[in-house]
Amino acid sequence: MNLLINTKLPVIFAEGGSDAALVSFLIYTAAVFVLAAMSNRLLKSKSFLSEYFLGSRGLGVWAFALTFAATSSSGGSFTGFPSKIYTHGWILALWIGSYMVVPICTMGFIGKRLNQVARRSGSITVPDVIRDRFHSPLLGLMAVSLIVFFMSFNLVAQFKAGSLILQTLLEGVSVFESTADGLAQAVAGIPLLSTAESPEYLLCLLVFGIAVILYTTYGGFHAVVWTDVMQGIVMVLGVIIMLPLAISQAGGLENTTRLMAKMTPPRVSAPDKGGITLTLNKPREEILRIDTGTWITDEPIPGQKVPLLFRVTKSTIIPAGKTSINEVKVLQLTTLEDIQRILGRRESEKFLDDVSVSNIDLKAYAYGEEGSQQGAYVSGPGPSPSSSNGFLPFSLAISFFFMWAISGTGQPANMVRLMAFRDTKTLQRSICTVAIYYTLIYFPLVIIFCCARVLLPGMEGESDSIMPKMAVFLTENIGMGWLAGLLVAAPFAAVMSTVDSFLLLISSAWVRDVYQRNINPKASEKTMKLLSYLATFVVGTAAMLVAVNPPKFLQDIIVYVGSGLAASFLAPIVYGLYWRRVNAAGAMGAMIGGFSVHLAMYVTGYFVNGSFFRPYQLFNFDPIIIGLFVSFISGFVVTKLTAPPSDELVQKYFYINKANS
Amino acid sequence: MSTAPSNDTESMEVDPVFLNSKREAWIILGLWVAAILWSVPYCYMNGFQSGMNAETIETTLGIPSWVFWGIAFPWFVADIFTIWFCLFYMKEDDLGVAHEGEDLAEEIAEMQAKDATAGGNES
Repeated sequence: MNLLINTKLPVIFAEGGSDAALVSFLIYTAAVFVLAAMSNRLLKSKSFLSEYFLGSRGLGVWAFALTFAATSSSGGSFTGFPSKIYTHGWILALWIGSYMVVPICTMGFIGKRLNQVARRSGSITVPDVIRDRFHSPLLGLMAVSLIVFFMSFNLVAQFKAGSLILQTLLEGVSVFESTADGLAQAVAGIPLLSTAESPEYLLCLLVFGIAVILYTTYGGFHAVVWTDVMQGIVMVLGVIIMLPLAISQAGGLENTTRLMAKMTPPRVSAPDKGGITLTLNKPREEILRIDTGTWITDEPIPGQKVPLLFRVTKSTIIPAGKTSINEVKVLQLTTLEDIQRILGRRESEKFLDDVSVSNIDLKAYAYGEEGSQQGAYVSGPGPSPSSSNGFLPFSLAISFFFMWAISGTGQPANMVRLMAFRDTKTLQRSICTVAIYYTLIYFPLVIIFCCARVLLPGMEGESDSIMPKMAVFLTENIGMGWLAGLLVAAPFAAVMSTVDSFLLLISSAWVRDVYQRNINPKASEKTMKLLSYLATFVVGTAAMLVAVNPPKFLQDIIVYVGSGLAASFLAPIVYGLYWRRVNAAGAMGAMIGGFSVHLAMYVTGYFVNGSFFRPYQLFNFDPIIIGLFVSFISGFVVTKLTAPPSDELVQKYFYINKANS
Repeated sequence: MSTAPSNDTESMEVDPVFLNSKREAWIILGLWVAAILWSVPYCYMNGFQSGMNAETIETTLGIPSWVFWGIAFPWFVADIFTIWFCLFYMKEDDLGVAHEGEDLAEEIAEMQAKDATAGGNES
């Protein structure tokens, strides 16, 4: 089968980058299923639950390092992050800067001790650890409830993210579009499916969702880990190949930075009203369709030297026989060098000819255009379309240092991985591996997508698809369009490796923490096995069905969940591992304190700022900082006000017999 | 922090994995503090300038100098520190064997003990 694919690859890839995306997705999915099948064989020989949810605590360096790195790098690393770099420039280096210490913080801060405590108690899940360490079923139940609450939202959001990435990558592939049309007709009478956002989205959701659910259900933790390893390799290879191509094609990094220093932000149409009026020089007999991404140029406004250049941001039509249309949504380039570069390659770009432009009604960026804000793309706080304080003011820069390093340490999906490595040597080497891995990914991404500003100007309206567009552009320029397939596989890889981990985390919460530990501790191995498969499948399917009509504010939900989990879990876990005096009441105080203050800031945001997802920022700090602060303080105060834990419990987790040493 | 088991103290000692992990955690926290104290103020003082002259922007290896010295260089230093810390400083502790199912067994035993007590009281 592989031979067949390999012989056909160059032919299919030669047709263009979009087809390359389809082929790479298919190869990729096939490889994932092979890994799942291999993992399933392991389930037959070991303790089922420990193997299915924790890989029998036997992960070696590569498996542990790459599953950790891949799970942490969600789809956002290859869609949202490149989009932000493209939109705001070099300031993103500061935004992502704390990744310099993320590996050692997220793995080294609690890794060794958490793994030891989990072994000592026999814990398989994070709520297990909390329940056993504090000997409190109530605390365990609270932990399960919070994980299920937060992660269910996150799972739906990640399903949507995965489908949107796939949709972006497969846009323009004829097989994909005809299949989507066929699917739309097939589900026309089915109540839930027929209400999906678009047939393309539904198709991507079903393909992506079913693939992830099946391989995760069938293979369990090892399938997730092994696919993560493959996904991790794909991600880093994609970046390593793109980096030299981007720098050389942009004329060197020095040239890129100097050109960026001269850039001024585009002017954009407001979504509700405004835009430009287009007038055709002569009427056409057929409908004229103007696609997103089409360039329109006109003579300079009298008194100015810069030619007008617009890029359409929302497709529209001019009816047959008509000559003009109002309020066409566009963005206007304002940097002379960018305009000249696009006009210089007019032959290879899509231009709408024989038109004139009038009634230009476009908005300037809130920060970045004025004379005093020159050089916004190479300095802080970076240009912003909506905030007059710029993209990353000082207080937010501090918040993001907390967000990535500290909040990452408090994520249960990361904690589970810390319970699964084989020994201390594995942890030590894995931290080094992840440190090098992140260095090879995140800083180079900033460079690559700064180069994208020079190579592909005017993409602000479609910046979420800058990664695949850049992959296709770079590889076609060197006559190797087929290589785009490997590069665009990186975003699939990133989002798949996140979704599968979250899926397993929720199903383990139901099977182990709710059923086995609270309802039927004497359940047989056979029952637990059946329930594990069933729970993973049902949780995944339910999330996929909810994602047919997903909630809006995708990125906001992901941010809310990530910071909420950290505010709830970090303090109880850190206290539990490192403080002998802490008791169940203190851990509960920390968990409730962090969760409720974090939630309160979002609720206050609803009343003060008009939206739940624009949280109230006390002293201009993100809710994660305030939530963590309150969580640690309340845990400390409650512990001090209540009785110390039993000697037996302290002995179990903090002492050893002298003979053993 | 002074909680210690009152019984059987002579036959027990504080777990070295706990002590080593705690010391390492403090150092890691210190590294994070050092990183934030270096990067954020440096970038703020050198990179947050209004009205930057495009012709005279300072670069190092093609990167704006404030990004190079505020992020890229400390990133490199942090990587070197991480590798040294993990390979040469962090103690290679024995994490022990996994007591699979022990928590569950304890719970079942507790349940049975409760049932037995309740049964005894009823009779």
